[in-house]
Amino acid sequence: MAAITDINIYSEHGQLRRPLAWSLGLHLAFAALVVFYAMFIHGFRGNAWGSGGGGDAMGATLVSAIPLPANPAETTNVLATESKGLSKSQPAVQEKEPEAIPIPDKNTKTRIKPAPPSATQRKAQPEPPESNQIPYGEGGPVSGPYTMSAGGAKGGFGFTGSGGDFGSQFSWYVQAVQRKVTENWLKYEVDPRVSEAKRVYLTFDIARDGHPANVQIEQSSGVPSLDLSAKRALERIDSFGPLPPEYSGSKVSVEFWFDYKR
Amino acid sequence: MIVLASLLLLAATSFAQDWIRTGTGLGVERVRLAASDFKPSTTDTKNTDLLKTFNDTLWNDLDNAGIFDLVSKSFYPLQVPGQPSEVSFKDWNSPPPNTSMLVFGNLGAAAGKVTVQGWLYDVKNEKSPQVLGKQYTDNATTDAVRVIAHRFADEIIFRLGGGVAGIAESKLYFVSERSGHKEIWVMDYDGANQQQVTHLGSISLSPRISPDGSRLAFSSISKGGWEILMYSFDLNRMVSFARFGGMNLSPSWSPEGKIAFSSSRNGYPNIFVVDGSGGNSRRLTNDQGPDVSPAWNRKTGSQIAFVSGRTGLPQIYTMEADGTNLQRVTDQGYAVSPNWSPNGQFLTFSWMRKYGPGEPGSNDLYLMDIASKQWVQLTHDAGRNDFPCWSPDGRHIVFQSHRSGSDQIWTMLADGTNVKQLTFKGNNTQPNWSWK
Repeated sequence: MAAITDINIYSEHGQLRRPLAWSLGLHLAFAALVVFYAMFIHGFRGNAWGSGGGGDAMGATLVSAIPLPANPAETTNVLATESKGLSKSQPAVQEKEPEAIPIPDKNTKTRIKPAPPSATQRKAQPEPPESNQIPYGEGGPVSGPYTMSAGGAKGGFGFTGSGGDFGSQFSWYVQAVQRKVTENWLKYEVDPRVSEAKRVYLTFDIARDGHPANVQIEQSSGVPSLDLSAKRALERIDSFGPLPPEYSGSKVSVEFWFDYKR
Repeated sequence: MIVLASLLLLAATSFAQDWIRTGTGLGVERVRLAASDFKPSTTDTKNTDLLKTFNDTLWNDLDNAGIFDLVSKSFYPLQVPGQPSEVSFKDWNSPPPNTSMLVFGNLGAAAGKVTVQGWLYDVKNEKSPQVLGKQYTDNATTDAVRVIAHRFADEIIFRLGGGVAGIAESKLYFVSERSGHKEIWVMDYDGANQQQVTHLGSISLSPRISPDGSRLAFSSISKGGWEILMYSFDLNRMVSFARFGGMNLSPSWSPEGKIAFSSSRNGYPNIFVVDGSGGNSRRLTNDQGPDVSPAWNRKTGSQIAFVSGRTGLPQIYTMEADGTNLQRVTDQGYAVSPNWSPNGQFLTFSWMRKYGPGEPGSNDLYLMDIASKQWVQLTHDAGRNDFPCWSPDGRHIVFQSHRSGSDQIWTMLADGTNVKQLTFKGNNTQPNWSWK
C-alpha cells in the first residue's frame, strides 16, 4: 500500500512535469510578449503620438516614452514637480531676448529720419521728390546757405592761407570744444516730459582768447526748455582755451547742435 | 541717469575756413592718448635716473588728469619716436594703439643741465599733426625734472582739456600729527614732497590757503583759546593776525581775499567776515547756532555755505555774502564740511543721511548741484569720509578717509572714480587744495 502510494505519488509527480513545462513556457512567452510589446509596439506608438494619422482612438497610455518637450525653464520652486500630469503640457513660451541696441559709430553722422510712411499714407502721397531735392529734415542745418555767405565774407575774419580749413587742421581743438560743451550741458534742465526732440542748432563765436560770444539759437527744437538748456551750456563756459597760435584769424564761428533723447 | 551715446562730429565744409560744425548727443568721451617714454638725447650717465622720474611723473600727471583714456604701453610699437621725424603715423593711429594723440620727446643731460624736448601730435591728422612742441632747460636734478614733467603735462591738459589749466603744479595743505602734534603740512598734488609748514607744538586745524597762494590761514589753540593764525609763504614764517577772543574756527578765503570764519566772541558761534588783514569785522549770522565751517562760492564770491546746528543736527545752509537769503540745503541726517566747486555750480560735503540710534549711517561724500538741489553720492561703503575740497580744475576732489584703517588723504575724480591714496604715515586730515 505504502509502496503503491509511493508509486502513485511518483506517478503524479511524473504527470505534473508536462503541465509545469507548459506553464513555464507560456509564462515565459507571455513575459516575452510583454517586453516585446513594451519595447516595440509602444515605442512605435509613442513616437507617433500626436501625429493624428490612422484615425485610431487615442489611448490614454500613460507611459514614460511620450516625447513631451522638455521644460526649458529650471525652477527652484519646491512645489513644481517633474510630473507631466494628466493633461498635455504646453511647451513653455520662450522669452525673447531683448534686442541689443547697436552703439552707433562715433564718427558717423546721424540724421533724424522721418518714420517710414504706413501703407495708407503711402497711397495718398504724391510722387517721390526728385533726387536732387532734399527731403524735409534731412538737409542738415537750414543755416547752410547763410553759413556759406558768411564764410564767403571772409575779409572780416582775416583768415587766409594755411592751406586748410580750421576743422581739419585743428581737429583737436574742435574736439575739445565739443567735449567742453557736452560736459556743461545739464540734461536735467530739460522738461522731464520731453523724451525726444528735434535737433537744436546754436551758433557762437570763439574769440582769440577762447571765450564764447554771440550765442544764438539758429534753429529751435520746438522745446523751449531744451533750447534754453543748450544756450545755458554755452553760457556756463568761460573759455575753451585760446585758439591755436598757428591760427591767424581773430575768431572762429561754431555751429553746434544738440540731440536730445531721454 | 545719463545714457552714453554717440558724439557727433562733422568737419567744416570745404571752404568755410573758420567755421566749426560739431554737436553732441549725450555723454563725454575721453581723448585716447599715448604717452611714449622719452628717449635719451645725450650719453650722460644721469639720463637713466632723470628719464625714469620724468616718464613716471608725466604718465601719472596725464593719468590723473581725468580727461584722457591712456593707451597702455604694452600696445606701443617697439620703436617709439624721440623726434618728430621718427613718428610713424600708421603704427600709432591704427590698432593696437589706435590712439588719436601721441606724446613723445627726448631728454638729455649735459654738463649739469638737462634739456627736454616734448611734442604732442594728433596722429589721426597726418597733414598738420603738431598740437604742441616745447623745450625746457633746467639743472639736471630729479626735482627739476619732476617740475618739467608737471609743466609739460599741464600744457597738454590745457590744450586738450578745453582751456582748463592743469593741476600738476598745485599743492595740498593738510593737518598731520606724524611729528607728535597736529601741525600743518604741505605736499604736491600727487603726494610727493611732503613738508612740514608749522612748528607750533599745539593743535592746528583747518588750513586754508589764500587765492594767491601767499598766505595760509588756520585755526590753532593757544593761551587765549582758539584763534585764527596766519602763515606767510613770502616770508616763510608766522605773521600776526587779529585776535578776536572767544573760540575762532574754520577760516575760509573768498576769491577777493576776505576771510569768513566761525567765532563765538559774542556768545554763540556765528559766522563773521573780516578782510584779509583782519579788520572790518562783520557778523553774518545771528542765532544760537552753532554756525561753523563757512565756504565761499569760489567763482562769484557772493555766496557762503556753512554748517549750522540751529535745528538740532548739523545741516548745510547757504546765504548771500551779506548774510541775507538764508536757505537750507540738506533736509535730513548729519551734514558737514561744505566746499564749493571752482565753477560755483556744485557743493560737495560730508553727509550721514541716516543718523541716530538704529541707523547705521555711513559717513560719505556727496555732490549737489546748487541750482537744482539734485545730489549724487560720491563714496560708497568706504569708512568715514570727510573734509572734501575741490581741485582748481574742478575735476578732482581731495578728502580725508578712514577706509585704510587710519585717517589719510585721498583724491578722486569729481565723479567718484579713480580713488587714490596720497598719505600713508601717521594720521593726516583736513586737506585743502591750492587755488591754482
